Amino acid sequence: MADSPEEIAKHKKLYAAIGIWLLVFSCVALALGKITWLDFGPPGATWEDILIGLSVSVVKASLVALIFMHLNHEKGLIYKTLLFTFLFFLGLMSLTLFALADPIRESFDTLNTVKGMLNRPN
Amino acid sequence: MEIPYEVAPRRDTGLFNSKLGIWLFLASEVMLFGGLFSAYIFLRVGVIEGVDAPWPWGINVHKTFVVLGFVNTLVLIISSVFVVFGWIALKERNWGRFQMFMYLTVACAAIFMALKTVEYRSKLTQHHDIKLLDNSVLEGKILDKTFDVPFEGNSVEFNLAGSAPGFIHDIEGEFPVMKATWKEYATVDGERKIVDKEAEIRSAKEFKSWFVRARTKATSDLIAERKRYRSEVAAKNKALYKEEEFTNPKGPVVDTKAILTAESAFQLHSRRRQVSPIERSDKGDSMTYLDGSTVKGTAGDDRIKFEPHYLDMQLVPIHKQKDSMVWDVLGDSHMKDAWYENREVAYEHMEEYYEGRKKEIPESMLRGYYINIQSLHGKEHAKPFWQEFFDEFKAGAGIGGGDHSDHAEHSHDQGDHEHHDDHAEEEAHAAADDHGAHNDHGAHSVVMIPRDKIKFFNSHGPRNNNYYAIYFTMTALHGLHVIGGALVLLYFVVFGKPLFLRNPEHLANRVEVGGLFWHFVDLIWIFLFPLMYLL
Repeated sequence: MADSPEEIAKHKKLYAAIGIWLLVFSCVALALGKITWLDFGPPGATWEDILIGLSVSVVKASLVALIFMHLNHEKGLIYKTLLFTFLFFLGLMSLTLFALADPIRESFDTLNTVKGMLNRPN
Repeated sequence: MEIPYEVAPRRDTGLFNSKLGIWLFLASEVMLFGGLFSAYIFLRVGVIEGVDAPWPWGINVHKTFVVLGFVNTLVLIISSVFVVFGWIALKERNWGRFQMFMYLTVACAAIFMALKTVEYRSKLTQHHDIKLLDNSVLEGKILDKTFDVPFEGNSVEFNLAGSAPGFIHDIEGEFPVMKATWKEYATVDGERKIVDKEAEIRSAKEFKSWFVRARTKATSDLIAERKRYRSEVAAKNKALYKEEEFTNPKGPVVDTKAILTAESAFQLHSRRRQVSPIERSDKGDSMTYLDGSTVKGTAGDDRIKFEPHYLDMQLVPIHKQKDSMVWDVLGDSHMKDAWYENREVAYEHMEEYYEGRKKEIPESMLRGYYINIQSLHGKEHAKPFWQEFFDEFKAGAGIGGGDHSDHAEHSHDQGDHEHHDDHAEEEAHAAADDHGAHNDHGAHSVVMIPRDKIKFFNSHGPRNNNYYAIYFTMTALHGLHVIGGALVLLYFVVFGKPLFLRNPEHLANRVEVGGLFWHFVDLIWIFLFPLMYLL
């Protein structure tokens, strides 16, 4: 971050603009959740909606981190620290993927049981 | 002690020390929240629609609380802008402007926490789920003292050797006149005998003093009996040794049972946690407390007064939904019509989507929340969302006193029509018509749900539901961060003036570090909001 008051003053407009963009993106996130015609994929909250919703969040988070937290021009040591954080975070998130490879075995096939229930006549 | 590199950066790191410190701290915070997010996603994606306990979206999460969460998002973003402008004011050596922005930030934190409180209160006290025996779930609001078991008692049987019977705290209204009968040892004609005793009890205070006396007597009787038994055993052993004749000693005999018989029936509202799981006999003529005391009498009207809003049929197989017991419980055909009407609309959306892609509707979509959770009161969006927001806000903040004055009441008697007060029903119907209960304007009816048709019920608290457990854990942890961050910023603005006069750059660095933490709090909310409220 620039340290001289003159340079900082130049950033005021940027911060205000980022604030407005963040508000706009929040409205977009709300609209994605509430407005029917912004419901992507099949009706209801499906993976398409989750993907788009979280993408908006990632954009917002990036703006906060890069501009407000000055990560767009920070010292190398902080990037190095955050690289490790990022890797650990990826690890944490991929735990959910590892779980897919190790599902709970059931004594009966739940899905087909339900399917049978659905197809059974009254 | 002088702490180095508070203002000027260290040459090797290029950073002032506290900045490196806060980034290391924030890195650890990412791990903390990352673990929780990971756990949340793990549980969320593992839910099989219509098979596991349903994830409660589409009920309240999808509607009114979204607005509260959204307002909180705006508040946090605006506060982030204030922090950064406060820091700029310090860099420009403008104490007045710095103060203003910091106070505004703290005010934003206060608004955030106030809205959070409204939301928590609303979830914990204004919203309930009732799961019926066939797994259909009614979402709405319980209107009575449901956690009490109503009972009309005539007599109580309990043990003098235990603690004071719990029923004594649950009597409603005036204390009944009771006759206590019990047995104790007394010396009659020089012989120790069990005698029947009687006493009249007129108040809870009298009961307590009587109970303490009787218990003390029962205890001393027991001690005396044990003593007698021990000495008889010793005498028997002695006789055995000397090969003399002996009689087998009789074990300690103390009858500690006591019975209270009331002159007239008394009303109990027993605290559910004090009553044993098999709380009432099949005939409903007795009720047992966890302390072992049994009250005899007749069961009160044990139905839950409930205002249904939504019906969740995810766990009821589709071919059984038409005959679900929930329709008997609701009793009002307009709710059934409204539910099916909404479901039809949802199904048509689904059909349209898949027909356009020349695909069959996947079975999981038919079992899912989109089809199976519907409003019982007309169209989903009958009320403008801001109206719902203000209603929710009022309810959560406890504004407006009588919270059901707006709602039409339609008492519905379940299988008990002969006792139905026709006049009351007419009045209820008239009230319902006045308020438009049988329409699409979102007014709610009130039904009475018999307890024997209920599997369980609970509020939207963290106790019985994975979603709410994670919701409360994560939002409360985030809320603590908000409070912590606001306190730090408040400290800078209240106590920072001397440092500002002495070394403004030092204060600016401190505020920058506090601000980094504040932005991080904002950042967490940016993910929490869509994850918890929208997806």
